[in-house]
Amino acid sequence: MKDTVFVMAINEALREELERDEKVFIIGEDVQQGTFGATGKLVQQFGKDRVMDTPLAETAVAGSAIGAAMTGYRPVADMMFGDFMWIAGDEIFLKAAKWHFLHAGKVNVPVVFMGAIGGGFKLGAEHSQSPEAVVMHTPGLKLVIPSTPYDAKGLLKTAIRDNNPVVFFYHKGLLGSPGQIPEEEYTIPFGVADIKREGTDVTIVATGMMVHHALAAAEQLKDKVSLEVIDPRTLEPFDLDTVVKSVQKTSRAVVVDEDTLRCGVTGEIAALIMENAFDYLDAPVQRVAAPNIPIPGGYMEKYALPQPRDIIAAVEAVMGNA
Amino acid sequence: MKLEKDDLIKLYKNMVLGKKIDTITIEGLAAGKVVSFFHSGQGSEGLAAGVASFLRDDDYIYPHHRGHGIVYLISKGFSGTEFLAEHFGFAGGCSQGISGFHSVDPEHGVLGSSGTIGSQFPLTLGWGLAAKKNGREQVAVGCFGDGSSNRGTLHEAFNLAAVWKLPIVWVCDNNGMAQYTPIADAYPREDIADLAAGYDMPGVVVDGMDVLAVHEVMQAAVARARAGEGPSLIEGKTHRFRAHSEGSPDVNHFEPRSEELIEKSKKRDPIKLFEKKLLAQKILTKKDIEKVDKELQAEADEMDRLATASGKPDPSILDKMLYAE
Repeated sequence: MKDTVFVMAINEALREELERDEKVFIIGEDVQQGTFGATGKLVQQFGKDRVMDTPLAETAVAGSAIGAAMTGYRPVADMMFGDFMWIAGDEIFLKAAKWHFLHAGKVNVPVVFMGAIGGGFKLGAEHSQSPEAVVMHTPGLKLVIPSTPYDAKGLLKTAIRDNNPVVFFYHKGLLGSPGQIPEEEYTIPFGVADIKREGTDVTIVATGMMVHHALAAAEQLKDKVSLEVIDPRTLEPFDLDTVVKSVQKTSRAVVVDEDTLRCGVTGEIAALIMENAFDYLDAPVQRVAAPNIPIPGGYMEKYALPQPRDIIAAVEAVMGNA
Repeated sequence: MKLEKDDLIKLYKNMVLGKKIDTITIEGLAAGKVVSFFHSGQGSEGLAAGVASFLRDDDYIYPHHRGHGIVYLISKGFSGTEFLAEHFGFAGGCSQGISGFHSVDPEHGVLGSSGTIGSQFPLTLGWGLAAKKNGREQVAVGCFGDGSSNRGTLHEAFNLAAVWKLPIVWVCDNNGMAQYTPIADAYPREDIADLAAGYDMPGVVVDGMDVLAVHEVMQAAVARARAGEGPSLIEGKTHRFRAHSEGSPDVNHFEPRSEELIEKSKKRDPIKLFEKKLLAQKILTKKDIEKVDKELQAEADEMDRLATASGKPDPSILDKMLYAE
């Protein structure tokens, strides 16, 4: 194993896949430099035709990646901010997501849309969203949200090799977070959750940055309550088995996500737990997510982002101590 | 490329067969056999056949939405049976009845078609990018209407296609009407081809009712693309002979379109115009034309029969279709 940080793990995955398969290319605004560093220092090795800077034109970025994917290329379209996927809504949600199905499997769309998500940097309502609910909602899109450098690298390599459109969201607040990855090549299959911390009293299902908040809550509560923290890693496909098995053990569940509460992914996951593990539950499933407001900028941002203390309050509620 | 007798007949047949399938689709809708909707392409057959009849199988094309692309598709080698069966919602459709009307045939460079107008621009850009990367002198042809020319996606795709010198031919079927809105109320100039200058690419206006004129400008644009010199824009001036979609009111904004103007435009029916030329040049006789008509009607009827015979699809296919392996 070797030490790395999250953003370098993404960069390594891209480098290895560019090396492995000449059909892979990166396209997006200022990817040669890399706004967040994820795509930086690749153009020097692979040239401008495979690390393609575009002008400010999101529909052209997404559309040309999708078009090229349909002919057999494996583009990684860097949308910069996850929020910017909305500019290319037709391309991502109507074309990439639907065209394989719509055309009875005659075309494949093996494209990856990368985007930085999440708050914490006071960037305001259009640069801080966690738009996973809309992606998870849309049939035909796979969805990856890694929380560690190890997961980021292994899952991005799988995403690039997948024959379907994959949305790969990484949290801006995790880019500098440290971790270890193997020296040798590895990939991580989709649909396999990772238990980030074993516990016996409450199952916490958390995504992205919220995995770290859940781990912080678990550490704070360790003398009173034992939390099991599960990171689904991919929301589509979703590893329901691991979650259900955990709930069978703990009989209590809290679902945590940075997206808004209303119609957010916490609602879907909580419903899945109720439908599949209701008989094991000793308390209603609790959800922790952002309030139903756009994310404010400046000093008020933190009021719209779930905090470890919110997770602790939810744990107390399922334990009957609220 | 100089058109030999066989080439001229091929152009003619593509127009006539396409129109026959267009007509079957209109009748099928009235009869309840076509289960979605239909936007007839009658009036645009010359532009479509002139654009698509001599492309290579591996050239990509996004057919224009009029006639759901039928004349482009027939000209590119697409199966009329699959076109009709898809419109019937039947298993023999190009998408096994799942799409309802979207065409697909990767073997002939038709990678799909869209329900949203203007999405062809970024997708064609991607096909052009792939064509350039492939290095096999393929071209990508992106067809659109005067209506789609109002979309912002046009700018992003025209711009990048020109910056990257992609082998793309953009073809605008300007019939002057976008559903109920006339082009004069949607675009400030006379010619959409004028846009090309802003992207430093050639832009030509052609009489879209004259298949040979279209063929000529198309050949030049394709040659330029194959030679790696970049994209071009062709604007074919056409007429829309029927309403925007079958069963919808044929209005200009909210008032009936001028019947006089429609009748006048029909005097320049692209099929009739071409017939006159073929007769004058003694390529075909009146008798030949009658024979071709009969043969193509039989061919179209057989497509209708086969499409109908394919029957309703088994809905269990839906469970397997969401993702590729």
